[in-house]
Amino acid sequence: MGMRVLRSLEVLKLGVVNYLDALKLQEKLVLDRKSHRIWDTLLSLQHPPTYTVGKRQTVHNLLIPQSELEQIGAELHYTQRGGDITFHGPHQAILYPIISLRDMGIGARSYVEKMELTMIEMAAQYGVKACPGQAGETGVWLGERKIGAIGVRISNGITSHGLAFNIDPDLTYFRHIIPCGIADKEVTSLRRETHSIFPPEEIIQEQLISCFARIFDYDNLIWKEDASVVIDGTE
Amino acid sequence: MALRLWASSTANALKLSSAASRTHHLPSPFFLSRCFSTVLDGLKYANSHEWVKHEGSVATIGITDHAQDHLGEVVFVDLPEPGGSVKQGGSFGAVESVKATSDVNSPISGEIIEVNASLKETPGLINSSPYEGGWMIKVKPTSPAELDSLLGPKEYTKFCQEEDAAH
Repeated sequence: MGMRVLRSLEVLKLGVVNYLDALKLQEKLVLDRKSHRIWDTLLSLQHPPTYTVGKRQTVHNLLIPQSELEQIGAELHYTQRGGDITFHGPHQAILYPIISLRDMGIGARSYVEKMELTMIEMAAQYGVKACPGQAGETGVWLGERKIGAIGVRISNGITSHGLAFNIDPDLTYFRHIIPCGIADKEVTSLRRETHSIFPPEEIIQEQLISCFARIFDYDNLIWKEDASVVIDGTE
Repeated sequence: MALRLWASSTANALKLSSAASRTHHLPSPFFLSRCFSTVLDGLKYANSHEWVKHEGSVATIGITDHAQDHLGEVVFVDLPEPGGSVKQGGSFGAVESVKATSDVNSPISGEIIEVNASLKETPGLINSSPYEGGWMIKVKPTSPAELDSLLGPKEYTKFCQEEDAAH
């Protein structure tokens, strides 16, 4: 049993980022990670109001006409991630890990389980007891209420997309979709589920990053401040 | 052709001395199905966990038992149309499981002559029968020499053990 190699994670805190800009950045980082130009990287961000569908293009789960999206201040994007339709918006903490599952020696199932655990631990810090979904209902739940969603893409063993944890987003946006294609289930948020006093949101996002780093067993976190520079630098 | 089973993945974790010794050490069928991925003789393997079966001018391609086990229950399979082509190491489709879409790469280059239409209705075939009913595409290889660069069953078994031991 030799010495374990130190596992480093580069963390980019990006603030609020347009969905397509974040997608372009992820595509570049996936290529960089695949060719070993960068370490495992974690993007921490939020999106303006955005609906997205996964590879199966289940746009039938959008309940308002696409022409009305602009009126409610939202965009719609088609993606290659797994999972059904979902909503992203301000006050929802998003993590997009760009990591090598092969180097970590785990597969999709184990990766997604750890992503669920990350959000479960996050919720627990505020006294909220959430659990993983039943079979076929990946995500993080409190009974019939979903507090965290997952949708991932794995390409040559490198991950992109990731998780979305509801701190305090405007939940009315979820009324316009059948979230994740599961009817009769509600969406909730940390705000809804606890009377705890919240620190500034940036702190909550950092806590989520720490949960991720702990569960994925990273030894060394490299925080990139002023990460908005990275977005502007992508073509 | 008789097919020999090689244990992979957990053989290393259990510190079994050789794959063939699994029958001596396993206490129950449940233990067997939980811990061991099947690796078949007579196939070639890519380190991205796809297999290829070369029979004359046709090569059949799918993903391995190790791959399906690590993916979870497959709910959707995205396959190309026949008539397209694949390059060695290039992606030809994807599978979705547990809200994750995973690209599937071709171990060899060739022309796609057939795709498994059953996977549209029954994507779970990839889990229940990764080497038979869960086959994904059939190609006409354009560079048969590429098969030599792939892993044999023993090498692939070892590769899986090493990969799983990494975490």
